[in-house]
Amino acid sequence: MWTKIKWGLRILLLLIVGLFLHYTLPQRDVVQIINTYNKLTPIGANWMFYSIEDTGTGAETTATTRDIRFIEAVYPDGTSVMVYRNEDTGWVWPPYFKWDSSTLQAEATNYKSDKAAPQWVAVTHYGWRIPMISIFPNAVKITPVEGPDVRLVPWLNMFIIAFLLFLVFMVRKMWLQFRERMVDPALDRAEQAWDRVDARADAASAEVKGVWGRFMAWLGTWKGKPRK
Amino acid sequence: MILGWLRLAVIWFVILTVAYVIVGIYSRSVRREKLEKRWIAEGLEGDRDAWIEAGMKAYETGLKKKLLWLIYIVPMVAFVVIITVINWS
Repeated sequence: MWTKIKWGLRILLLLIVGLFLHYTLPQRDVVQIINTYNKLTPIGANWMFYSIEDTGTGAETTATTRDIRFIEAVYPDGTSVMVYRNEDTGWVWPPYFKWDSSTLQAEATNYKSDKAAPQWVAVTHYGWRIPMISIFPNAVKITPVEGPDVRLVPWLNMFIIAFLLFLVFMVRKMWLQFRERMVDPALDRAEQAWDRVDARADAASAEVKGVWGRFMAWLGTWKGKPRK
Repeated sequence: MILGWLRLAVIWFVILTVAYVIVGIYSRSVRREKLEKRWIAEGLEGDRDAWIEAGMKAYETGLKKKLLWLIYIVPMVAFVVIITVINWS
């Protein structure tokens, strides 16, 4: 039962991290831009999926209704479409540091084309399109590509995910080193002290279970030794 | 917000300083363990503690400790690169 709950929590955590990365990391769509416009957009409970208010484009209008730039595009299949918003991002999160929404909008309008002579572009964006709560991916960059069949390899995302895995690996290594060099010797010393005092060692080592238990037990070794 | 950059700088300074201190402790611990193992492997004799302390002193002035500054430098470089790529190229 307990292992099932543990695994459930682990899978849930992995899912949350995965969704978070899927929302935040840049993705590229090969599309044809068909329209660009501004729209006064009410922002309510879905505020989390728009830029925070103190960004350049956020401050241009009031907090609840904002004049937001949009870019309409069509995928190479000719029927499925995507609507991007084009907003400045803030200083903190997501860390795109985008201040050139006006320029990007001009670029988008410049690449606008009709079906007879399509101009294919790669729109770099982050975020999701969920119509039910009116959220749009934020376009951060537009670059022309040769054709609708061009294959884009997400090198940057591969690098970022590899770097995150490296960080997790290092944190684990550091914890193991800390345990080997600091926690376990301290516990050994404490155990020996307890052994001399009375047979409390069993009770102490029974408490020392798992990462948290070890850490707390290590903190406990800073306290005075049990008196007779 | 005009002071947005300041908030970013403060947040990252705190995060990176914590990382720098923790990685510093870890790196020192790894070096000490290596020295202890070398003492045994090479069958050295004499004052073990003094030998290890000398090794740690060499670490404090060595290249590896200076490389820890990358913890501050890499995010700053990444920040400048992101700004340039997103807004200017």
